[in-house]
Amino acid sequence: MGSSRSSLRGVPDGQQLLQETGCEPERSGRLGWFCLGLRSEDLEAELSENPIGDRIVGAFFQPGQETVDFPSFVRVLAHFRPTEKNWTRDGVQPEPANSRNRKLKFAFQLYDQDRDGKISRTELLQVLREMLGLQVTEEQLQSIAERAIQEADLDRDDAICFDEFRKSLEKVDIDHKMSVRFLE
Amino acid sequence: MFSRMAPRGRSGLGRSLAELGLLLLAILVLLDGTVLSLEAATSSEIDTHEGKPGTHKNTSKKSFPVLGIKYDDVSVPFEISLWVLLASLMKLGFHLIPRLSNVVPESCLLISVGLLVGGILKLARDEVPPVLSDRIFFLCLLPPIILDAGYFLPIRPFVENIGTILMFAVVGTLWNAFFVGGLIYAVCQIAQDKYSEIDLSNIGILPCLLFGSIISAVDPVAVLAVFEEIHINELLHILVFGESLLNDAVTVVLYHLFEEFMESGSVSAVDALLGLVSFLIVALGGVLVGAFYGILAAFTSRFTSHTRVIEPLFVFLYSYMAYLSAEVFHLSGIMSLIACGAVMRPYVEANISHKSHTTIKYFLKMWSSVSETLIFIFLGVATVEGEHHWNWVFLTSTVVLCLVARVIGVVGLTFIINKFRIVKLTTKDQFIIAYGGLRGAIAFSLGFILHSEHKRIFLTAIITVIFFTVFVQGMTIKPLVELLAVKKKHEAKRSINEEIHTRFLDHLLTGIEDICGHYGHHHWKNKLNRFNKKYVKKILIAGDRSKEPQLIAFYHKLEMKNAIQMVESGGGSKLNSTFPSTVSMQNIQPKIHSPPSARPSERALPQLTKGREEEIRQILRTNLQKTRQRLQSYNRHTLVVDPDEEGFDDLILKKRRMMELDWKLKQMTNYLTVPRPQGSPTMSRARMASDSQAYVKPGAENVPTIKIDLASPQSPDSVRLLDEVVQDQGLTMSLPSSSSRAYKTSGKDDGRDQQKLLRCLSDPGPDVDDDEDYDDDEPVPT
Repeated sequence: MGSSRSSLRGVPDGQQLLQETGCEPERSGRLGWFCLGLRSEDLEAELSENPIGDRIVGAFFQPGQETVDFPSFVRVLAHFRPTEKNWTRDGVQPEPANSRNRKLKFAFQLYDQDRDGKISRTELLQVLREMLGLQVTEEQLQSIAERAIQEADLDRDDAICFDEFRKSLEKVDIDHKMSVRFLE
Repeated sequence: MFSRMAPRGRSGLGRSLAELGLLLLAILVLLDGTVLSLEAATSSEIDTHEGKPGTHKNTSKKSFPVLGIKYDDVSVPFEISLWVLLASLMKLGFHLIPRLSNVVPESCLLISVGLLVGGILKLARDEVPPVLSDRIFFLCLLPPIILDAGYFLPIRPFVENIGTILMFAVVGTLWNAFFVGGLIYAVCQIAQDKYSEIDLSNIGILPCLLFGSIISAVDPVAVLAVFEEIHINELLHILVFGESLLNDAVTVVLYHLFEEFMESGSVSAVDALLGLVSFLIVALGGVLVGAFYGILAAFTSRFTSHTRVIEPLFVFLYSYMAYLSAEVFHLSGIMSLIACGAVMRPYVEANISHKSHTTIKYFLKMWSSVSETLIFIFLGVATVEGEHHWNWVFLTSTVVLCLVARVIGVVGLTFIINKFRIVKLTTKDQFIIAYGGLRGAIAFSLGFILHSEHKRIFLTAIITVIFFTVFVQGMTIKPLVELLAVKKKHEAKRSINEEIHTRFLDHLLTGIEDICGHYGHHHWKNKLNRFNKKYVKKILIAGDRSKEPQLIAFYHKLEMKNAIQMVESGGGSKLNSTFPSTVSMQNIQPKIHSPPSARPSERALPQLTKGREEEIRQILRTNLQKTRQRLQSYNRHTLVVDPDEEGFDDLILKKRRMMELDWKLKQMTNYLTVPRPQGSPTMSRARMASDSQAYVKPGAENVPTIKIDLASPQSPDSVRLLDEVVQDQGLTMSLPSSSSRAYKTSGKDDGRDQQKLLRCLSDPGPDVDDDEDYDDDEPVPT
């Protein structure tokens, strides 16, 4: 992991970034053109067909920013590295970006657009609407959203907080589902 | 847990039932023996009869026979039925003795029974009819098991691990075959047993390799039989099971290859190359044939909306045709059957009625269950029949070599595979995979049809290996799994949350992969889904349902399950009174008339403290024990997944849904083909739950989309239901008094009252057949 860093020379704080995210930048060819600053339109072009494309794009950009620089980009991608099984929490190092918790947190933030720490009914409805599109009626969406909240909402505040989100996904193999293979 | 506690009180009864079962078995076996000897007797009678036709005319006219025995005409069906009956009674018997079935896997017991029956038959007739002929096995007994496996194959884990499975199936089997074949040849050359009459050094290299290829294949029937009972986690199950299915192609090719070589006598490099090409043809050809028939079946099912009764028949026939067609061309029949089942399933399920779906499920499980039982019994019988050539050197070295080859193969392959996997296979996993490589009846049948001079010794060795793996490995794998603390299967149904989030994550990952320009797993899956949605679904799914997204279909399934459960448990309104706090009839009723837009903000649910909730959960669990006794996972023996695993949460949901029950049921009658509720709602609902005869044809209407219209005012029927139910049961009186002291008393008194109440609620009953987890796994989600 710590061998030739030739491509990192062009990137500021390359070593520190590597430390933090564990990603090797030269792995993907596309990552080259991000060094100068990436605008949202470039990303949107790739994700035009994806139903939640604009949310993904939004995740890369800090609020108010127009471009994303390479370090932030890599930081986001670092969430999708495959988890290492032998990582132990020892409190000294900050939790690595690709731990299960951080992955879930990332996904949670995609739902929670207003960043209040909860997925409200309206937010859930929006996600469902995006995913299912015009094929379903509004009432169906509402009943699905209602049932989902009923199932997950344990403290009865009519919204899903992060812990409830995590609990409802405890049986799903997040490590497998949220990992892109080449980002080792 | 619960299943072990309950039989304590009933062990006396169980024991007597078991004795009854054994008695029946004994009677049956004796009957079988006498029947077969009778057959021998009558056949000899006929011979003598035909020997003197001339004298017959001259004898005086016999009086009209009032009672006679004419066994020959029905002999074949009679014997077949007798065997199947024996198998079924055996199954019945084993499950009445829970202690036995916990220790010994069913396959061992069945083989033992087969040995017993074979022994008895041999004594009675001095020769045993060769019941396990290869034709019966390959044409009648094997297809149901494979179809059952293929139709209910969990597609998602299978496809995710396809690389690993293929590596194990192809490379692992090849390695096993050559290793065992080669080394056994070496052993034969070296070892010379002076006392044995068989000259081992006669066995050439080719027969040895042939033998190796037969013995090296992991058998799906045996794997299924053993793994069903140990409930390991999904990943290991699908790895071993997938390997056992896919190695059929390798086995077929190797078998034919070596047989050809043995006939022709010489091997050249061209032949080896042709072998490789042949393998590709066999495997891919099998899959293509299966997929072709699968698409045909899906297309046919699009038009069956007026003849619902024969829908299951199409599924079975097309699958069987796929198998037979593949066998005609020497392609891999197993792979074609799997492909057919897996391809046709999503489309067929979208088209057929609910009852047809249930029928298919029940029939497949029934046939595969009986088949498996028969296979093991016949294996036992066939062991007794026929001469065996015992050669200790050969036998022990075969067994040892098989084990060693398997272990080395698994370890070596995992080392390579782990470099490419995201979730690595641990040592524990490798051990289970190696240990789970059981051989079974397929190896035996292939050995049976050999045309070699060494057939007898090979067959003996094959039987030895089968017995060893099934008995020793089969019996010890369960304690080993416990000892090594291997992760067990998750026993819960999918919630709508999981479904939503899983799809969300799919989209997310596809997006990320697009950004990185990396054409990974999700990218191709997305492309396939898009293609499927745009073209394939329009052709293969009838009517409006082709546009229904996967999530909606899943949601409707859940709702329907809820509705059925609610009806069969006698109405959820009684449960209102089990919650001792703010809920009362007055609270519920105005809600019915309030507009639905106000509903989201109000909640009819009581505010329970956590402790109270825990108590109630505990009480519900102990009382719903009956349903919990059924095994909760995908299992050959039972079909019912406990619907009340999270019984408490479901009860809450049920309450809310109760208001819309009547309305929804109207919409669903088109799918359920169930009579419309007429007259009193409660009575008609009770009728609907139990009635299986009264079908109402869907009529001229096309299958409509389900619209859950929350805006409609609640029908007065549901209000009446509440009133009726409340008036019917005087028991609701007792609870409100206890509810006032809810927070003060210890849970005991309330528990008793609630127990009383809950015992009156009818048990959901065996008809509540939920889909197993795997059923909900749609292969190509939108």
